[in-house]
Amino acid sequence: MADTRQIRAGKGPVTYALRTFVILYLAVLVVWPLWEVGSRTFAPLERGAESGIGPFLERLQDPTVTYAFGLTATCAFWAVLINTVFGVGISLLLTRYRFPGRRLLSVLVDIPMSVSPVVVGLALVLAYSSGQGWFGGALESAGIFIIGTTPGMIMATAFVSLPLVIREVVPVLEEIGTDAELAASSLGANGWQTFRRITLPSIKWAVVYGVVLSLARSLGEFGAVKIVSPGAELRGETATILIQNRYTNFEEPTAYAAAFVLVLASVLALVVVSLIRKEDRS
Amino acid sequence: MSIEVRGVGKRYGDFVALDDINVSLPTGQLTALLGPSGGGKSTLLRIIAGLESADTGTVDIEGVDATTLPPQKRNVGFVFQHYAVFKHMSVAKNVAFGLEIRKRPKAEVKAKVAELLELVHLSQFAHRLPSQLSGGQRQRLALARALAVEPSVLLLDEPFGALDAKVRKELRDWLRRLHDEVHVTTVFVTHDQEEALEVADEIVVINEGRIEQIGSPDQLYDEPANDFVMGFLGAVTRLGPLVLRPHDIEVAVAPGVPGSSAGVVQRALRVGFEVRLTVDVEGQDEQVLVVLSRAHARALDLELGSKVWLSPTTGATTVPALAVPREAVASA
Repeated sequence: MADTRQIRAGKGPVTYALRTFVILYLAVLVVWPLWEVGSRTFAPLERGAESGIGPFLERLQDPTVTYAFGLTATCAFWAVLINTVFGVGISLLLTRYRFPGRRLLSVLVDIPMSVSPVVVGLALVLAYSSGQGWFGGALESAGIFIIGTTPGMIMATAFVSLPLVIREVVPVLEEIGTDAELAASSLGANGWQTFRRITLPSIKWAVVYGVVLSLARSLGEFGAVKIVSPGAELRGETATILIQNRYTNFEEPTAYAAAFVLVLASVLALVVVSLIRKEDRS
Repeated sequence: MSIEVRGVGKRYGDFVALDDINVSLPTGQLTALLGPSGGGKSTLLRIIAGLESADTGTVDIEGVDATTLPPQKRNVGFVFQHYAVFKHMSVAKNVAFGLEIRKRPKAEVKAKVAELLELVHLSQFAHRLPSQLSGGQRQRLALARALAVEPSVLLLDEPFGALDAKVRKELRDWLRRLHDEVHVTTVFVTHDQEEALEVADEIVVINEGRIEQIGSPDQLYDEPANDFVMGFLGAVTRLGPLVLRPHDIEVAVAPGVPGSSAGVVQRALRVGFEVRLTVDVEGQDEQVLVVLSRAHARALDLELGSKVWLSPTTGATTVPALAVPREAVASA
């Protein structure tokens, strides 16, 4: 920070022009639209009606809305849990072992980042649906249904947020190197003891950071879940799908209220992330 | 014999890191594996520790075939060049790690940690984190941690390589004294011949994946097996058919000694108490390097262009100059 201040010690017209441009850009693109969501959330429904926090909370207490947020929370929880366990596992595999196909795996892990979530949903339907899926038939005969159920939505959410933990953990694992782990094993620690006592404490903040990012991503997931979910009220309608449905059905106030909650959740995630960054540096 | 290495070979693709290594390291000794970087000495040490596996051959530790044992079953202490301390644990916790893994009673762990921190002079830093220690202190911590589990052998990989010259020298003396106190069989890797000569009971010279010579520091210095060992243990120069050390050349200002070579002083450089002469000798392309004391140089009244006659001193260590000296010789 000190360096930046030194470089920009003289505040010329260019500095002010740049600042104005950046502020305007952010305002037009981010702040103003979000402000609209916030103000609509708390605006009175019609002339003379009650406004403010009361009706907002009331709208959120609608059973369909609480169901939607409950389902979103369930999907996000399981997706994050799965991604944390597999993410740390795959990260260890990618950094600590050499095997044929390692580079391919590393590329595969990135695919969810670049593929559109809608395509992810479609792919899951093609693979697992009981009607057309080449895998679904077998699962159906075993009594397992993926598409149109909560497990399918968890899968879609997990797929989309898969790389987030890995992308945070892999660089840290590479940076800390293997010396401490080798030292632990020469001191008598087995693989699990080394992981729990040496590796995990070193990557702790990276994992937490990845978890927060995954959580934010999972809460806001729409495209992939939309395809695999039945998407009806009280039946597979997550918070994002609820916003879409209500908005198109002229129940905008509920859509705004739900949207506002999602915005709050991401702001919270951002705050947590910036706190972690500070903690991590100290 | 504490460590018995038989027929060990290791390749990385086409690169031969170790080629049929046979060496016995006796119990209680301090042995140095000396050689240039990339010569295979660290690989050998890591194979003994079990951190890498050999392609061929066997390693016995204390009479037990350890070739296929994982590192945690070999009961070796390993100290890394870059310390490899556990950054998130206090100094005391670092030292206690191996004992806690072994589920020793708390009181015993505490007593042992206190004893070891005393030994490495880190008692007052017990509750600090490693990031609050200097490089030399971190390396002493790593050493205490390795000693805590009472290993049958202690292996050190370039233990002082990352430290500055002064700390290096202090730690070197300290390691020697520590070894005289603790008497654990110790093997350390170094590319610094001075370090090896000063600290070790026995030196194994390794180059290009092969053992060049095994012997005590005196043996190696006085009776080098070949020009590589000769060159690696100190500066060398060529005088006629012989390779010898620059301070083993007698300088005369008049012909007299039979077999002496005549030459002209091309350069004289004074460094502290010694004078380094570069001499053009008749009938030899390569210039001869001569080192003599300042007093001696003054007595001979040497200056640029002086005519001198050079001959090996009596009892000089020499090896025949068979081939063009290898790269390591030139740089030593």
